[in-house]
Amino acid sequence: MTSIVITARTLPLENLRRRPMRTAALLVVVAVLAVAFFGGSMLGINLGNGMRSMERRLGADLMVVPQNTESKAEALLTDGSPSTFYFTKEIAHRIERADGIAQASEQTYIASLAAACCAEKLQIIGYDPATDFVIEPWIASQFDGALEDGQMIAGANVNVSADGTIELYGRAWPVVAQLAVTGTSLDNSVFINQDTVPDMVEASASASRRVMPAEYADKAVSTVMIKVKDGYEPQTVADSIKSIDPSLGRLGYVYPGGVTAAAKTALGTLVGYVVVFVAALWAMGVIVLLAVFAASANERKREFASLRIMGATRGMLYGVIARESAIVGLAGGVIGVAAASLVLFPFSALIGSRLELPYLQAGPLVVIGVAAASLVLSTFAGTFASLVAMRGLARPEAYLTLRQGE
Amino acid sequence: MKHKLIASVPAIVLGALIAVAPQTFAHACQGHGTPGACHYSQQAATGIGAAILVLGVIALFVDPRVRIGLNVAVIVDTVLLLAVPTVLIGICKGTMMHCRMVMLPTLVVLGVLALAFAVIGIRVDSRAASASAGGAR
Repeated sequence: MTSIVITARTLPLENLRRRPMRTAALLVVVAVLAVAFFGGSMLGINLGNGMRSMERRLGADLMVVPQNTESKAEALLTDGSPSTFYFTKEIAHRIERADGIAQASEQTYIASLAAACCAEKLQIIGYDPATDFVIEPWIASQFDGALEDGQMIAGANVNVSADGTIELYGRAWPVVAQLAVTGTSLDNSVFINQDTVPDMVEASASASRRVMPAEYADKAVSTVMIKVKDGYEPQTVADSIKSIDPSLGRLGYVYPGGVTAAAKTALGTLVGYVVVFVAALWAMGVIVLLAVFAASANERKREFASLRIMGATRGMLYGVIARESAIVGLAGGVIGVAAASLVLFPFSALIGSRLELPYLQAGPLVVIGVAAASLVLSTFAGTFASLVAMRGLARPEAYLTLRQGE
Repeated sequence: MKHKLIASVPAIVLGALIAVAPQTFAHACQGHGTPGACHYSQQAATGIGAAILVLGVIALFVDPRVRIGLNVAVIVDTVLLLAVPTVLIGICKGTMMHCRMVMLPTLVVLGVLALAFAVIGIRVDSRAASASAGGAR
């Protein structure tokens, strides 16, 4: 038979080992609390990152788009699927004559083929580097050259082959830069200059289905991005455009500021639900911990009375209780953080696409910080609940406690 | 009995999930003209899952020391499972492809769980084996 020497230092661990069911139940409760705190916090932080990233990339005050395409244009700003829509340059030039416009730049959107596999459906964005004030400012941090005809700048999620090209419509297009992750649909986009758009249309015609009629290839414009002059409201400028010609009144008018506000509202609602859920779970979890510790305090009266008789001071007893619960809190916290990480990080792309909100994974330092906070909170919750539940245990006279129930 | 269940049931359940998931909800990208890397990873994962499942079933009928060996085999299989879509065969490169968004993370999660439970099973059985050896002496 093996003998085990139990000292004051090893006593908490032995206590936990000898009551496997109670220890497992406590670990599960603390792990659930850690999952809720870590998972909820990371979700909120990542959505907040995505929102800030989207805001940084919305440089226009007003987008004028073809009739009935406002929702497609809004989707391009948030996290929507690629699409093709256009009017002609002639309309764009009429729009740009309106009063209150500080800067205007034309962009053309083409959705690439919905390939079944391995070549993703991309949003091709043609822009004019000479007038652009929306894309260039944030592309400039990663690419400071001139985008030549036929060249591309790729979003973060775009699959660039080893030779630095992208296969689109049966042609290999050279990529001069790949952008950092933004958490928005721009990650699935490629950027070309406006002069490359006719080439792209011809490539689509020779490879599969022509994305737009040949006569529109060199005059298609999907949106006019407008920065309004100081003192003008985007709505006032939109009214000014409509007043040029009644036919312009039928065009779509998108206010990126409003899109951001709508996305912020959706984000606020979602984060609100998460906060309420996490708070409710923590309240219930702490109550369960208090109940479990209170029940075990009752059944452990004799154990602690015996320890007092053997010479343990009250401080030593509280130390044993605190260390037991701290071990449970820390171990439960580690299990919870690991379990949440196992879902959050591998599935982050899926979570982002299902939420349909800009979702940008936080950096490692933030993740480590939130994980550490989760562990501290879990340990504190366990220790607090046990000390509250067992505060009276070391107080009464040991002999009287030992005699109780006889 | 308790030790036997701890050391075998997770391998049965997770092995079955690893075998079934790539053929159902965590499938490879569909519509390949010719089968791509993700298709072969999917098939390999199903085979490895079936092997883990069989090891778990065998573990129900053997003594603790053999179960330790079976769980070591589960660990080796799981490492292979994790290596198939990441190193050995691979999957599609596109970040938003179904195989990368769903199949890879599902296999990683199931693989890590199978690995963790196999280690727990080995630990539980090692204790039981050493306790019975101590009792015999």
